[in-house]
Amino acid sequence: MKWLCGLVLGVLCAVSVASAAVSEKSSGFQDANTSYRTGDYAKAASLYEDLIRKEPSVAVYYYDLGNADVRLGKLSAAILNYEKSLILDPRNEDVRRNLSHARDLLEYRVEDSRNWYLKATDAVLRYMTQREAVLGVLAAVFVFLLSGIIHFLSGRGLFWNAWRKGVFVLLLLAGLVAFGKHVQRDLIRDAIVMQKECEARYGPSEHDQVAFRMGEGIKVFVMDRREDWSRVLLTNGESGWVKNAEIAEVAI
Amino acid sequence: MRKNLFVLTIFLSLLVPMSLQAEEVRVTAAVNKRAVTVGEEVRLSIRVTGQSMNLQAPRLPKLDGIDTYYTGRASHITFINGVSTSNVEFSYTLIPQRPGNYHLNAIEVSVGPKVFQTEPIAIDVTGSQAPSAVPAAAVNSQQPMPSSMPQNVPQEPPVVSSGGDNNIFVQAWVDRRSVYQNEQLLLTYSLFTRYDTRYEGFEKEAETSGFWIEEFPMEREIERETVQVNGRRFVKADVKKLALFPTSPGSYTIQPGSLKVSIREEPQGASAFDEFFSDSFFTGGSFFARRQNRLLNPPPIQLTVKPLPDEGKPEGFQGAVGSFRLTASLDKDKVKQSEPVTLKLVIEGEGNIETINRPKLPTLTGFKTYDADTNAKLFKTGNVIGGTKSFEIVFIPKEEGSAFIPPLEFSYFDPRKAAYVTLRTPNFPITVEHSDQSFQMPEELTGKEMFQKNVKLEAKDIRYIQERVSESSALFDRIYRGFAWGDLFLLVVFAALWLKDRQERLFSKDEGLRRRKMARAVASANMRKLKKRSSSSKPEDVGLFFEELERAMTQYIADKWNLSAYGVTRQSLEEVLANHFGPEDPHLKDVLELYSLCDESRFGKGSIPQASKKVGMRIFQETVNRIERMKR
Repeated sequence: MKWLCGLVLGVLCAVSVASAAVSEKSSGFQDANTSYRTGDYAKAASLYEDLIRKEPSVAVYYYDLGNADVRLGKLSAAILNYEKSLILDPRNEDVRRNLSHARDLLEYRVEDSRNWYLKATDAVLRYMTQREAVLGVLAAVFVFLLSGIIHFLSGRGLFWNAWRKGVFVLLLLAGLVAFGKHVQRDLIRDAIVMQKECEARYGPSEHDQVAFRMGEGIKVFVMDRREDWSRVLLTNGESGWVKNAEIAEVAI
Repeated sequence: MRKNLFVLTIFLSLLVPMSLQAEEVRVTAAVNKRAVTVGEEVRLSIRVTGQSMNLQAPRLPKLDGIDTYYTGRASHITFINGVSTSNVEFSYTLIPQRPGNYHLNAIEVSVGPKVFQTEPIAIDVTGSQAPSAVPAAAVNSQQPMPSSMPQNVPQEPPVVSSGGDNNIFVQAWVDRRSVYQNEQLLLTYSLFTRYDTRYEGFEKEAETSGFWIEEFPMEREIERETVQVNGRRFVKADVKKLALFPTSPGSYTIQPGSLKVSIREEPQGASAFDEFFSDSFFTGGSFFARRQNRLLNPPPIQLTVKPLPDEGKPEGFQGAVGSFRLTASLDKDKVKQSEPVTLKLVIEGEGNIETINRPKLPTLTGFKTYDADTNAKLFKTGNVIGGTKSFEIVFIPKEEGSAFIPPLEFSYFDPRKAAYVTLRTPNFPITVEHSDQSFQMPEELTGKEMFQKNVKLEAKDIRYIQERVSESSALFDRIYRGFAWGDLFLLVVFAALWLKDRQERLFSKDEGLRRRKMARAVASANMRKLKKRSSSSKPEDVGLFFEELERAMTQYIADKWNLSAYGVTRQSLEEVLANHFGPEDPHLKDVLELYSLCDESRFGKGSIPQASKKVGMRIFQETVNRIERMKR
């Protein structure tokens, strides 16, 4: 009887602690929103940052922080946060619109001279999260295994009939998409230039000649990373080495 | 194949919006009849439909055997949903000279930077000569047109061509060397010849960038006259006339292009001068004679375009130059609230009527106003371009009581007076009666004549923050985890079933293999049965126990070495075991002893002690273990 009472007390304590944490988070979010609404963007940004530290996988926090950054004139930080928000919620039209607006305010812009199929692939992959791509694979695997199990249990017909071949092709396609997403997210990492003016050099040192200059908010792809320098690629095909301190990777 | 079809479908569906975009402008060509007789007129219309645009009359491709005449243009602009749609029709008269099947190739029409093409048109011309028709060379020329501009401008004295042959030359000349911006200028091509000459058209068109051009239709029978040039008699004919409207001030050089003529090769005596000109000049009378082509290049023309003076420029001036009149009328003077009343403005006169814009409306607080319709008609009388342009403006009064539509002002620059002129419409008073009906588009005007005002973005800013955290990510997590665990479970089941299936396939091919592989499992099952039976102390159960023990042992050994379980003898078992264990192996003796025990239980019922069951079970167990180890 004693242990039962203890168990009940323990469960009640856990529930109250959890609900307190939820209400604390919710109240923090409300406070941040209120600060934004009243025009105290610096405080709102600080509160959104606190929320992100506690719960880094909520897209809305990044989006709202991006908005506060725009109001504060921190365009590079805003673009970085919008990009992070898109990683978690890639089809959010508000984020896309605000990101586009923030980019319109930049001093620099980069032509996108990639091939059409690269652009199309990039656009398609940016329309889904990495977990959604993996979920596609899991769903295809599920259907394939279930279909195989039914085949073995029924003991009828060929294993590789048209249906199972079709499901397998679907599985391969889903795998391809998931692989593409992996390449996009983990191998070719996006980064945002955070400095007002950033010099890209022909090599990873100050002695190397400046190849081109970029302004804040420009999106680059990190192709190689050293201790202090990263080799970045622009959508116009130019590449150069920039200091790690001058860029921030778009990673959660 | 299906896959390819799918990809193709997707690709085509992606192309559709692009093609729709390209079709914002439509260019069509039509003739009023496709089968005619020689000399019978065919009316060709080229219609350009699209958003409001400025167009030059398209040039027809050369048609050997058909004479072509440009006869004018008409335009119509409609405002629907805030977008002005222009409908411009260019008219031509075609007069076939010879029978045959003619194909009018695609006609190119330049609309802004793009060039559109019409569909080719076939015309069948039969041989019988139709009564000579007067070409509609100057459509609308019968219309009353005030013409106060000089009709016959003095021509500069011709200069004989400095080329090798001074018996034929062409002179391109303008009626004045200095004009105001947007004032009409007449460019005339006069051909002077002493040969039997046929005009073949332009080899190279004039370069007239910076000018708005209207081509004057030429008469079918080009007028000619005999003139004296440097003491020599020439036949002179004006073969082409263009009205030019300079679009911006500055100094210009017009390159007049190249004319192509053909002359009869036989030298003509001066005595035949009048005779052959009257018979063959421009008429094709000597069509079968041997002819020689000539290109004639008139010299460039320099001219100056003066800017319009700033002094006295009215506020509402929008660039009209010429001489115009303005009339206005209102369709009713008594309306109800929210009922439309239409003001029609007509501007007519001489000048570039196409470029005239609607007079600006003053700010009106008591009315909603809409542009409804714009019509333009271009007339060419003599050497002057003019026409009428009408605008319809719809006013919808918002408040009851007396109101008036204020005067609208139209200003133009009169180049002859070198002054600006401002015309005003009268003040139209209207009475607005009370109506309880709230404002809505009048049904008869929606979509067609009226347009609803477009919703326009007035400023750009970021969208507002999101104040709710979506719950869908928790659901997604559950689905994700469900699939992950489900896949793991299904993978295990799938692997087990696949292995079993594979084993079954192997066993179905080799029964001995199945027995070998299954021997231990069967022996273990038998052992469990025997253990249950060994607990019973009834004498009849003892016999059954040893009977089953013997059978289990025999079956195991037979399965292991693929012997027939039913035909196997004690001797064959002993031989097999002796071969594998060795004849002196103590366990072989134990096995043989077990068989003896089984025999004894069968024949000497109830005499076997309970403990022997355990011994029997042990020997069976050890035999199985020993043989399994041997196999490994």
